[in-house]
Amino acid sequence: MAPKKKEEPKEAPKPKAPEPEPVKIPEFNPTEVVLEFTPEQIEDFKDAFQLFDRTPLNEMKITYGQCGDVIRALGQNPTNAEITYVLGKPKAEEMATKMLDFDSFLPIHQHICKAKDRGTYEDFVEGLRVFDKLGDGTVMGAELRHVLASLGEKMKEDEVEQLMTNQEDANGCVNYEDFVKHVMAS
Amino acid sequence: MGCGVAKSNKFHTKKGGKAMKAAVLIQRWYRQYVARMEMRRRYTWNIFQSIEYSGEQAQIKLYNFLGYLMDNFNPTSTERNLISHIFRENEVCRDTEWERHFCYKNIEVPEIYSGPRLIFPLTVEQVAAMVEAFRNKRQLHSRYVLQLLLETWKLLRKLPNISRISTCHSKEITVCGDLHGQLEDLLLIFYKNGMPSLDRPYVFNGDFVDRGKDSIEILLILFAFLLVYPNDVHLNRGNHEDHIVNLRYGFTKEVLGKYKMHGKRILKLLQKIFSWLPLATVIDQKVLILHGGISNTTDLCLIARVDRHKYVSALRPPKKRTQYPVSQSSVDLDMEDDLSGTKNNQRRVSLIKANSFGPRDGFQRRSLQDFSGRVPRTVDEEIEVRRRQSGFIKGGFSHSQGELNNLAVSSASQESTDTADTTVEEWKQILDLLWSDPMSQNGCIPNEVRGGGCYWGPDVTQDFLDRHNMQLIIRSHECKQDGYEFCHNRRVLTLFSASNYYEVGSNRGAYVKLGPDLVPYLIQYQASSMTRELTLRKNVGKVEHSALKVLREQLFAHKSDLVSAFQEFDKDKTGQVSLNDWATAVESVLRLGLPWRMLRFQLATCKTPGGMLDYQEWFQELSIKEPQMEHIDQGLLETLYRHRATLETIFRIVDLDNSGFITMEDFRQTWKLLSAFLKMEITDEAISDLSVTIDTNQDGNIDIDEFMEAFRLTDKKSRLERGKSMFMGTTTDLTKLEGDPNI
Repeated sequence: MAPKKKEEPKEAPKPKAPEPEPVKIPEFNPTEVVLEFTPEQIEDFKDAFQLFDRTPLNEMKITYGQCGDVIRALGQNPTNAEITYVLGKPKAEEMATKMLDFDSFLPIHQHICKAKDRGTYEDFVEGLRVFDKLGDGTVMGAELRHVLASLGEKMKEDEVEQLMTNQEDANGCVNYEDFVKHVMAS
Repeated sequence: MGCGVAKSNKFHTKKGGKAMKAAVLIQRWYRQYVARMEMRRRYTWNIFQSIEYSGEQAQIKLYNFLGYLMDNFNPTSTERNLISHIFRENEVCRDTEWERHFCYKNIEVPEIYSGPRLIFPLTVEQVAAMVEAFRNKRQLHSRYVLQLLLETWKLLRKLPNISRISTCHSKEITVCGDLHGQLEDLLLIFYKNGMPSLDRPYVFNGDFVDRGKDSIEILLILFAFLLVYPNDVHLNRGNHEDHIVNLRYGFTKEVLGKYKMHGKRILKLLQKIFSWLPLATVIDQKVLILHGGISNTTDLCLIARVDRHKYVSALRPPKKRTQYPVSQSSVDLDMEDDLSGTKNNQRRVSLIKANSFGPRDGFQRRSLQDFSGRVPRTVDEEIEVRRRQSGFIKGGFSHSQGELNNLAVSSASQESTDTADTTVEEWKQILDLLWSDPMSQNGCIPNEVRGGGCYWGPDVTQDFLDRHNMQLIIRSHECKQDGYEFCHNRRVLTLFSASNYYEVGSNRGAYVKLGPDLVPYLIQYQASSMTRELTLRKNVGKVEHSALKVLREQLFAHKSDLVSAFQEFDKDKTGQVSLNDWATAVESVLRLGLPWRMLRFQLATCKTPGGMLDYQEWFQELSIKEPQMEHIDQGLLETLYRHRATLETIFRIVDLDNSGFITMEDFRQTWKLLSAFLKMEITDEAISDLSVTIDTNQDGNIDIDEFMEAFRLTDKKSRLERGKSMFMGTTTDLTKLEGDPNI
């Protein structure tokens, strides 16, 4: 999925391309983010941040790689691409080594929180209905697994397994409304 | 993927775009789900671990307190006499005496006994049969237990402090971590890996007992294999191979429950055997295996030289022997103790320097020096003194740790004899070896969380490995979610073999295999197959539920302190506090270092419309009420509840003959001890109320178990409680043996 479009594209798309030219998105600038959190919320974030902090002296720092986890633990559900974007598109090895302190984390988190396209229950169900060949409220577990592992921001086999545990009935079908409730509940 | 081509075309259509969108949506939500589970798992873990360690700390405090009583009370005081026996470490000295203790020959095994019958020398077939018998919940007859222990003792005495083994004669060496009485895990390891044999050497890295319910069976299995394959089975001592620790954490209770007639004897012999367990194992001179860890002063040469059996309990240094000749037949100093109380008192006091209450000099000796003084006191005087001191002692530990360690050495050198010097130094080495934990920052500081040993950093590891020309340290001692964890740049491996340790589903266990290349190969497992079928949420939820239950109990147990703390925030006496203030107040009282804000939704659910918490109402929710207890002072009940593990420990110490009963008089004395330890008043009247409630048949004896149960201080349903403070819900398991006096 293409990164979120924030502003008008800087160039007009070339006429002959079958797909629109990917627009140039400016780099994420944390200083431009206005923080709207309440002090209470910030205290909550600190708790979560600390839970993931593995530094020797509890320096309130996490690795870049953990940033997505903390944001998600706090109730957002960004895509990996969005996370990479707000981190300033770090290289793969930087994810494990580069550290993020709490103050730098806040604008990143704020940006994600402001994102509009969260995906509601209906979006979810609509999306799954795509795979509902018989129109009976179920999808084939096998197809779902395949899709999750090969499309979009691909999941690993064990992740798929973990998600799908106990979701399929005896015929290998998944009732997707139940499935959505299962995933969205926390 | 198989049906790829057709599908990829499909996804280029508009429908395909939708499928892509759907996939991404699911994937994002899934990742959120996982992250939230991870967060819950982490704080649940924190809860269990902080409560576990604070329990260990409490135990050490209790032991230190009792040690202080021993050293400073009038020798004729009743209180001291109640507990002096646990400090009699070598009750019998001469070989003949020991043989009498070990004597199994007169014990008859009845025809009706259906458990394993052992014929010595043991063969591997017999051991395999014994393992099978244990799997089928049989129990080994005390005759065979004693015989097996005797043989084990004889063997252990010949072993060096550090076992040195090599991989060149065999394919791979298997190393296991803490088992803590969890027989299913040992059986699972044998199932997956095979039992010990000439081709399959094993190292077991301590903490075989306590907490789980089959500690004695695990010991018997390990000892039996040791006897059959003495060159291929190696045992390291853990901090739980220690009779003082066993009093609190369940092993003592387990043995006494399973072996009513001979349990006490078995325990006495095990004290000896534990002290003879080797301290460490080295593979190919490159890999060091020990239970806890190292410190910046750990010296393997020194450790190799000590008389390890002098350290019956690692919590207390051995007696100074300057007034008596040190001879091979180990003159029994304790027996002399009983004959001449005054002499004893003098000698004990000389071990402790009369310090002014300057900053604590030496962590390991702090425990003894906290209360140094030469004047024998009564309990009442003691309460007064401690009240005065408590403010000082709490604030005392402010110096840099390096300084303190130095001071420890220098203060040791001020002791009048060299014997004492070496003794203290040796003791520290052993304490560090059994109790230390690694930390991520450099340096070496005392381990205040556990109350013994130290925290050591990656620089200490590197230095140690360089000095000894080694490449890896394998240790146990800490529960890890995946059963193992590397740290210090993969130079330290923590290995934990008791799965589902805190709760079903809390963690996996692991063991490691090392071949001649000495590359660790790890295998994980989890004893209960149920957990595999649970969804991640159900799994996390189950463990979390358990942790929260324990936490609620802790909150209830600290009610008065919490109410005071809340009132600090509620100056207007509205009876309400904000959730923020609630979190701050709770942490200030419980000091568990937990993320209370995250937990508030589960712990503090009654909220007024304004988002404030009515704290009295909240306590109503938490409280544990028993109708017939209403005549008992609530404050006293709270105290009972908070210190129930300590209370039971003291009871068991006082119960000299391990009968499960103590006299009314001893019961009163116990309370006086407890009130001195807790620095609080418990009136005679309150004690009378308690005893009347319990001594229903008025015969002047109190049944300890009944007492603990009557005050709802035990909770048989909670696995966490089982074993944690000797509240093992195993009485139902043992009912079939209840009536059998022959076992």
